[in-house]
Amino acid sequence: MMLEAAMSWEGPVGLEAEVAQLRRGDLDALAALLARYQNRLYRYLLRLVRQPATAEDLFQQTWLRVAERIRRYDPRRNFEAWLFAVARNLAIDHLRKIQPESLDEPSDQGIPRFEPVSAAPPVLDGIVVQERNSRLGAALGELPVIYRDVLTLRFEEEMKLEEIAEVLGTPLSTVKTRLRRSLEGLRRTLETRYPGEDWLGGMERTIR
Amino acid sequence: MNEHAEIRELLSLAAAGALRREEEERVARHIHECAECTAEFENWQSLAAGLRRLPTPQPPAGLVERTRARTAWQLAAEGEQRWNHGVLIFLVLFGWTLTLASWPVVRLVSGGLLGWLDPGFEHTWIGLVGYTALVWVTGGVAAAMLALRRRRERRLA
Repeated sequence: MMLEAAMSWEGPVGLEAEVAQLRRGDLDALAALLARYQNRLYRYLLRLVRQPATAEDLFQQTWLRVAERIRRYDPRRNFEAWLFAVARNLAIDHLRKIQPESLDEPSDQGIPRFEPVSAAPPVLDGIVVQERNSRLGAALGELPVIYRDVLTLRFEEEMKLEEIAEVLGTPLSTVKTRLRRSLEGLRRTLETRYPGEDWLGGMERTIR
Repeated sequence: MNEHAEIRELLSLAAAGALRREEEERVARHIHECAECTAEFENWQSLAAGLRRLPTPQPPAGLVERTRARTAWQLAAEGEQRWNHGVLIFLVLFGWTLTLASWPVVRLVSGGLLGWLDPGFEHTWIGLVGYTALVWVTGGVAAAMLALRRRRERRLA
């Protein structure tokens, strides 16, 4: 019990201390923050831009931008939301340069549709899981960037809606709307791609 | 829109844990009585669970170390820049203070015992401008030489 309490306190306290140290130019704090966020930040950028090489480049740019702006960062703000907002802004700037039309909020009809494909029923559990992840990952990757954005922040980064609103710089109501539309878009994509079958590959359930 | 249709609209957000407490309670009450909405909610839940279980792609080997090195270099460069700005401000203030404070002394000395050294010193403002310019040009040249030397050292490092 006490250990759990101590562990739950370690996160924010340790994070706050590292951020404060980084503001003073401490390189150990930089290494600690990099270690803390390396997987999550890389995953987030990869979900947004989808190209590993671009995600790597943006990952580096994000930390350079953090180093540049950390002294102006307001410690009362949520560091995680600030960090992801920095990464997101860089990714959006990049995407805007290469495909400006993809950043607009699509209408409900704007979600890409697919021709149905047949899939052989998986045999082994490992294959089932891989198949499910592969289907879901592919469908997620085909969504417009503003939907991928909100889905990965909510389900993979497990951010609260308020934190997502801070990252996106939008009101809470907009976050909810995007979240609902992105889930509906994802489900529609899966249903269209795998009609009449379990689109999560192995779940004992079908869409009504 | 009737209750059933309204609840159906909320099911995806309920599975995402994005409803307010009163909305959650309303959804819970409804799906307790409605088999269709229960099945629909389970579908949304399985989709949400699938998203939460997606594998996390790992950053390539070396990326974190490269990023750490580049960022550390930038932090050091910015720290040095801040230090240089601080030194420059100090030098400016010190230079002006020294210039203004030393001028009466020079005038007193040169106008009295050492007046023969510079007969032109009767034009006070010309002397002041010349003296100030000499101090600042000397200081500027020294600062430029120091900056060039540091840049060369950083390039070699």
